[in-house]
Amino acid sequence: MKHKFILLAILTIVLVGVACTAAPTPAPTAAPPTAAPKPTDAPKPTEAPKPTQAPQPTAAAKPTDAPKPTEAPKPTVAPTQPPAARSGGVLRIAQNATDLNNLDPHYATTTQDRSIVDMVFNALVRYKPGDGSVFEPDLATELPEPKIVGGKQEWTFNLRKGAMCQPTDGVPAYELTSEDVVYSLTKSANKDRSAYAGDYTGMTFEAVNPSTVKITLDNPISKNLFYPRVSNYSGGFIVCKKAAEKLGADKMKTMPVGTGPFMFKSYTAQDKIVLVANDSYFRGKPQLDGVEVRFMADLTSRELGLRGGQLDVINGAPDKAWVDKMKPVQNVQVDVFGVGEVATMYFNLNIPPMDKLPVRQAIAYALSRDEFLAFVGPTIGENVYSVVPAKFLAGGLTEQEAKAKGLDFTTDLAKAKKLLADAGYPNGFNLKLVTSEMTGYKVLYESLQAQLAKIGIKADVQVIDHTSFHNTIRQDANALVVYIAWRPNADAYLTRFLHSDSIIITGKKPDTNFVHYNKIDKLIDQARVELDATKQVDLWKQAQIQVLEDMVAFPIQYQNQVYARAKTVDYGHDLKSVLALYPGVDEKTKFVK
Amino acid sequence: MARYIIQRLLSSIPVFLAVLTIIFLVVRVLPGDPATAALGDYASKSAVEALRTKMGLDKPLPIQYLDFMLALARGDLGKSMIRGTPIINEVLQVLPYTLELTFAGILIGVLLGIPLGVYAAVKRNQLADYVGRIISLAGLSVPAFYLGILLMLLFAIALQWLPAVGGGEIGDPVDNLTHLVLPALTLGLVMTASVARLARSAMLNVLSQDYVRTARGKGLAETAVILGHALRSALIPIVSLIGIWAISLIGDSVTTEVIFARPGLGKMMVGAILQRDYTALQSIMVIYTGFVVIINLSADLIYGVVDPRIRH
Repeated sequence: MKHKFILLAILTIVLVGVACTAAPTPAPTAAPPTAAPKPTDAPKPTEAPKPTQAPQPTAAAKPTDAPKPTEAPKPTVAPTQPPAARSGGVLRIAQNATDLNNLDPHYATTTQDRSIVDMVFNALVRYKPGDGSVFEPDLATELPEPKIVGGKQEWTFNLRKGAMCQPTDGVPAYELTSEDVVYSLTKSANKDRSAYAGDYTGMTFEAVNPSTVKITLDNPISKNLFYPRVSNYSGGFIVCKKAAEKLGADKMKTMPVGTGPFMFKSYTAQDKIVLVANDSYFRGKPQLDGVEVRFMADLTSRELGLRGGQLDVINGAPDKAWVDKMKPVQNVQVDVFGVGEVATMYFNLNIPPMDKLPVRQAIAYALSRDEFLAFVGPTIGENVYSVVPAKFLAGGLTEQEAKAKGLDFTTDLAKAKKLLADAGYPNGFNLKLVTSEMTGYKVLYESLQAQLAKIGIKADVQVIDHTSFHNTIRQDANALVVYIAWRPNADAYLTRFLHSDSIIITGKKPDTNFVHYNKIDKLIDQARVELDATKQVDLWKQAQIQVLEDMVAFPIQYQNQVYARAKTVDYGHDLKSVLALYPGVDEKTKFVK
Repeated sequence: MARYIIQRLLSSIPVFLAVLTIIFLVVRVLPGDPATAALGDYASKSAVEALRTKMGLDKPLPIQYLDFMLALARGDLGKSMIRGTPIINEVLQVLPYTLELTFAGILIGVLLGIPLGVYAAVKRNQLADYVGRIISLAGLSVPAFYLGILLMLLFAIALQWLPAVGGGEIGDPVDNLTHLVLPALTLGLVMTASVARLARSAMLNVLSQDYVRTARGKGLAETAVILGHALRSALIPIVSLIGIWAISLIGDSVTTEVIFARPGLGKMMVGAILQRDYTALQSIMVIYTGFVVIINLSADLIYGVVDPRIRH
């Protein structure tokens, strides 16, 4: 028995010893290079891309022995080029998510999915890395101009040479052709195989020859609306036909195969996905050896992982307090950049008394954008005056434009109370609202609650999880819906939030028209087919003036993206605005001293 | 003994079925569904509806229930509704992480808790006893997630001795162990507090028994009295409660895995809830229920060994 006691004591000491012994400091898998990174000897693109300015904002834009993880099969052919010197290292990114959802790019709708898809796939055209206001050719050699033939609009794309589809399960690497592009766009247009099918209605795709693709539109649209549909966002990503057919829909969810700078290596559910450099990438070999994207829904864990050196880039919190806390941390750089997701409050006209204009106006006059902004902090967000953010997209109203029309709704409590009294509510009324538990939403609803109380409106706000929130507000539950969203152009914002087809529950294509509004359908439809960019922008503005006159939507603010990174990480581009809502990692991203 | 085990196993079947039925219904009562969660707010309702059909969520509830139970009877956990991957593969990927964490937590709890409790009982009302009781009370009062963050701040950030997050590679023992220490300590220290308190009170109870006095009167060494006579009897309530602590440790392992961003069943379960991945969630609950049944059964069997009266 004595021996047992001694054994117990020894085991205890050993365990404590293990805990307290100075274990080797976990070396990051991506040690920054000790020597200055050499410039890549990457081959130049087959043709110098000719960037084109995307629709410019009207305002001066200031963009800111267990089983192993699922593994990719080994390439069946050697890379086309011998490996060359690179900066090296594996970039470890932590996203605010529990897991990926779907890496079929035509189903990738969440930030964690988009960020991975963005590294693996290309499109015919792309948003310039780090700057979502400029289009440039991607798989195409140039940005085409449309032609009208027989009343239909034709766009012809010439494909660049040397864009290689990554190898996968039994499918060797091969050069991407028009057949892949047509297959991919046809898949995007098929509602059974894509979440973005609606964007491709009335489009047909044709492979003219192996390096030429023609897209025909039944109803002509402007460049402003066409380029986003063939860009590296949503349905525009090009999947490789042979890989897609070989993998099938289920495998594509976790095993992405494209032509991008990184390719799939392995995936562990609820943990991480590992990508490796694609040495055959047509823009040259990536500087990094690979990228690991970890799914970490807890902010504290992400923050401690970055501070402790186990992570290189983390998704932060859209909160000034967090940014201020992280800024002084040694070796950490906080980035706040666009595109800003717009927070707008929509009035549900189906729920009395929101059907009365004076009540809606009273609420608008009771609200203070600055008060909302104080919750997130001026470095994170900025006030907006129309549903479409003028700072990032053509067709939005600037503060001056809204003011000139008397539609800026500067806070005026006396006026608000009078309007409320005139509408028959001198003592206000009670409201029941639900909000998502996500910080970005919760703070806005809390601020709304406090501001409404000033004119006697008592809002009982119930906090529910994010998925439930989205479900509940689509069931006509909230009289006031604060919604935070990014949409790639004015047409998408206006159609999805304010066109009658998009009315929740009862619309032809129920979406996010929480207002049950139908007064600007004509303007939206006209703008969509308007080929003159200036006239198109004018129509979008008219629509939004109408929205403000009817006060069915109160634009609050846009909220930028907040990320933090080790100072050794160089993205390879400036961060102004990124549509995928992450900093953007490509072949130029590297570690520096 | 074999009959006893079979009886216990058979009595677990209704528990299994009841738990599975409750889980099946509860996840479907939650607002939102896998299609909404998978596609996010950007997708239109028609896209969500198309995906719902693809996932089989448009089938009547009884049919879904029948499909689920029949598949389970065949030993098929199904595919993740979100990712389309076989759940058994996902579970097997992360199970070693959860098992090693739970096992290490129990080991730390027992190996620290029992000696601490015994020592405190032997030194009753002396400084060591007071210190032990204070530490034990503190351990009971601190939630696992909070203790985990404190340990991370100390060992991973301030001292930079151990990694803060991740699970390490299972195939790399050093990497795996360094990633295991902090989460295991988090669970182990919480359990240590409970074990130490119970060990102390059980020992105090036994130490006042006549046979212990007799042993001392016979002139046996104090160590022999404590370890040879008292501890064996004191272990009976401890062993029976270790089963219950192990079950609660599984609960704590969920938060610990999330805080330390470790792969594991707990993290997988949280993800499945947030993604409304019904099949994954149901399967994880099947496994957890299996664990609880096995742990209970093991505790009963060990109890029977320690105290033969139980078997009769």
